[in-house]
Amino acid sequence: MQDNLLETSILSLQLLFSLDAELWDIIGVSFRVSVIAISIATLPAILVGFLLAMVDFKGRWMVIALFNALMAVPTVVVGLTLYLLLSRSGPFGDLHLLFTQPAMIIGQIALAFPLLVCMSHSAFQSIDKRAWETARTLGANCCYAVITIMKEARFALLAAVLAGFGRIISEVGCSMMVGGNIMSYTRNIPTAIALETSKGMFAQGIALGLVLLVLALLLNFTLASIRGKGRLV
Amino acid sequence: MGLELRANNLIKRFGARELFNIEQLQVQEGESLHLNGDNGVGKTTLMKILAGLDKPCSGRVAVTPNMKSRWSTRLHPKVIYLHQTPYIFTGTVRDNLAYGLKLKGLAYKQISQIVEHALGWARLEELAEHSAHSLSGGEKQRLALARAWVLAPGLLFLDEPTANLDKQSVISVADLIQKMLEEGAAVMVSNHQQNSVTELCKRSLLLEDGKVKEHSHLAQGFYHA
Repeated sequence: MQDNLLETSILSLQLLFSLDAELWDIIGVSFRVSVIAISIATLPAILVGFLLAMVDFKGRWMVIALFNALMAVPTVVVGLTLYLLLSRSGPFGDLHLLFTQPAMIIGQIALAFPLLVCMSHSAFQSIDKRAWETARTLGANCCYAVITIMKEARFALLAAVLAGFGRIISEVGCSMMVGGNIMSYTRNIPTAIALETSKGMFAQGIALGLVLLVLALLLNFTLASIRGKGRLV
Repeated sequence: MGLELRANNLIKRFGARELFNIEQLQVQEGESLHLNGDNGVGKTTLMKILAGLDKPCSGRVAVTPNMKSRWSTRLHPKVIYLHQTPYIFTGTVRDNLAYGLKLKGLAYKQISQIVEHALGWARLEELAEHSAHSLSGGEKQRLALARAWVLAPGLLFLDEPTANLDKQSVISVADLIQKMLEEGAAVMVSNHQQNSVTELCKRSLLLEDGKVKEHSHLAQGFYHA
């Protein structure tokens, strides 16, 4: 068993370093879909988080609770909902989005959005109200004051974006359901790992798992080093 | 034409509790006012309303001449409010001084010159490249004053600027406020203790029982403003 594991691990490294086309194709799909999804979700989610932190309105706590609840929804449930909406008989069936990369992007936006809202809301909540008032009294219009507050909360916001990216690039349920796991089109790292493992082909699964592991380490080291520079004084 | 602030029928309530109901209050160019009152009477809230940072439940605050651009949501550019504990932005002392100047769209060279001048004005030259968060309380207060001074304020609201400061820092802050007064700015200082800053003020107001009462240094009694 140990020999088998060692052999499989060596094979997975060979696949990675020999630039196996199929493997890197899967990695490419994964990154393309997740980077587009997080890019689209980030700004609106941060603005919603900002509004929830700064604007007092009736039912605000309910909206916050709703986003907190959405954060905990399993990825397959999001995938199932989206599947029903995008399937031929669904309300958006005419768009023919099911089993396409745009469908995966929509699914990943839906997954990342609540997480980004909740984390950016916490980030803005931790910023003193005086920051907003100081910016305004020194001549900033509302738009520039928002940018100022975002700068003040930048480490926490960056952590939110990285956490959101980590969630969507590693999710399997939604991508499998609305992407369909089509080779060279909608097969991404998590769905490929699930498929290869079910076939008993562990080498590619381990290679892709290593990519996710390296990515997780890179993201966290980046965040830690940036935070280190912005240490408390 | 000098800057003038007029407030009429200002009412502020928190729920059923009425914090204050001020019929009329006027601040004119070059005036120095001491706003006195016990903790919790609404000094901070009143100053924030006058500075445009908070809204009254009813009533009106007008600053003339009106310099607000028609399409802008900016507050009056000549009216500045300073918190009791000033908020200092992330970055160096120099970055903080340049904040408001950048918003005015000045050229980099001009900003640089004004910032250098402000560093000297507030005696912060040696701390120019230091992280502003690492300054002491007195230095932060001087930085906040200099950050406002570079914008040439016409009316400055200082909310307990000497709270938690040692004797020497209070004198330094008083020096800077004196310079601003000499340059023609009107200053309103809230404080519930007498010190070298409040001694600079020629007019004294007392916020008590939801009303502002005026107190002349020459007269002994208070009367409604």
